[in-house]
Amino acid sequence: MNETIKMIVVLSLICGLSGFTLATLKDATNDKIEEQVLTYVQGPAISDVLVGYDNSPVKDRKKFDIPGTDQQVTVFPALKDGKLFGVALETFAKGYGGNVGVMVGFNIDGANLSGIGVTTMKETPGIGSRVAKQGFTSQFSGHPAKVELSSKGGDINGIAGATISSTASVEAVKQAINIFGQIKPQLAAAWTKGS
Amino acid sequence: MSRLWKEFSKGLWTDLPPFKIVLGLCPVLAVTKTADNGFGMGLAVIFVLTLSNVFVSAVRKIIPAKVRIACFIVIAASLVVAVELLMQAYAYPLYQQLGIFVPLIVVNCIILGRAEAFASKNTVLLSAADGFGMGVGFTMSLTFLGGLRELFGYGTLFGSQIMPESFKPFSFMIEAPGAFVCLGIVLAAMNAFTNRQRRKKGLAVLDNPTHDCKTCGICGH
Repeated sequence: MNETIKMIVVLSLICGLSGFTLATLKDATNDKIEEQVLTYVQGPAISDVLVGYDNSPVKDRKKFDIPGTDQQVTVFPALKDGKLFGVALETFAKGYGGNVGVMVGFNIDGANLSGIGVTTMKETPGIGSRVAKQGFTSQFSGHPAKVELSSKGGDINGIAGATISSTASVEAVKQAINIFGQIKPQLAAAWTKGS
Repeated sequence: MSRLWKEFSKGLWTDLPPFKIVLGLCPVLAVTKTADNGFGMGLAVIFVLTLSNVFVSAVRKIIPAKVRIACFIVIAASLVVAVELLMQAYAYPLYQQLGIFVPLIVVNCIILGRAEAFASKNTVLLSAADGFGMGVGFTMSLTFLGGLRELFGYGTLFGSQIMPESFKPFSFMIEAPGAFVCLGIVLAAMNAFTNRQRRKKGLAVLDNPTHDCKTCGICGH
């Protein structure tokens, strides 16, 4: 009996200590990890969709509330000489193998997209994964901010044999356009010079 | 001091983890596509192995024998999660490369093997020397194997071009079967070398110089 109690006490103590240490460490590294993920996952996509900025969009990012919901969206600004000329934001839509993450860049007047880049996806290699390739994404560069697949009467050519992945990417872009429209009034004031 | 050196240096040659005691082969085969990856994985293992040996040795007297394995695994797992977090925070590209293999250090049998065979019976200082030595040996082995495969598979070493332009990369080497073939060749070469040394000293040549339970004494069974 005595031995059983000792086993329980020692094992619980060791597990408790480990849990506490890890929780502390997780807390301490949280911000740093978020920054690293932004630099290495979103960063390359941002430099694809925004061109000609002289700031660091990742560093200058800001969070905005989406009106009418309790959700927030992170917006990456592109500034030139302290003047905001474009923003990028990331949205997700359900694809064939989980969420497809798309970074969508906008010119600040909101009339045109400056481009899109796929950040995360697990689509079928060689088929759905082609939504991340230039051939598909380049269709969105300079495209008016109203997108639809050609099969539904728009002018974006989907990828043959990958309807679900193509639809997901377009859905994500539509969501981004929608969010952009809602937060647009707040944008210009958010990155005035010196702030 | 000499005892400390002995425990450290045995991990470098006589008990070299993947090639002599042939433990921890999962990462050895999986991450050694390039010398860089092998080296990074090795560093993570040095960290986990040294600290897990220290902790296991420090608490060896209060751990009841019946739950010792569970305790060892909790200690190793906590250290691995710590390494994973730190890697994400300070070396994200390496984390992207090693991906799933970092959490798998938990089940790397070297960690549990050293905890059970050495750290649970020896002092903290000796255990640290043992873990560090084994870790360094593991890193050397992984870097060597990674370098070999990278050299023939990509024609590069640590990312810089080594082979002449005309060299056609031998892509078999960076696929999974190439890992087995390379490991086999390295093991054969090491055995041949060991036997040559023994012949020079006038000792009997071993048919199978890698460890079996009679000759090894690693776990004392």
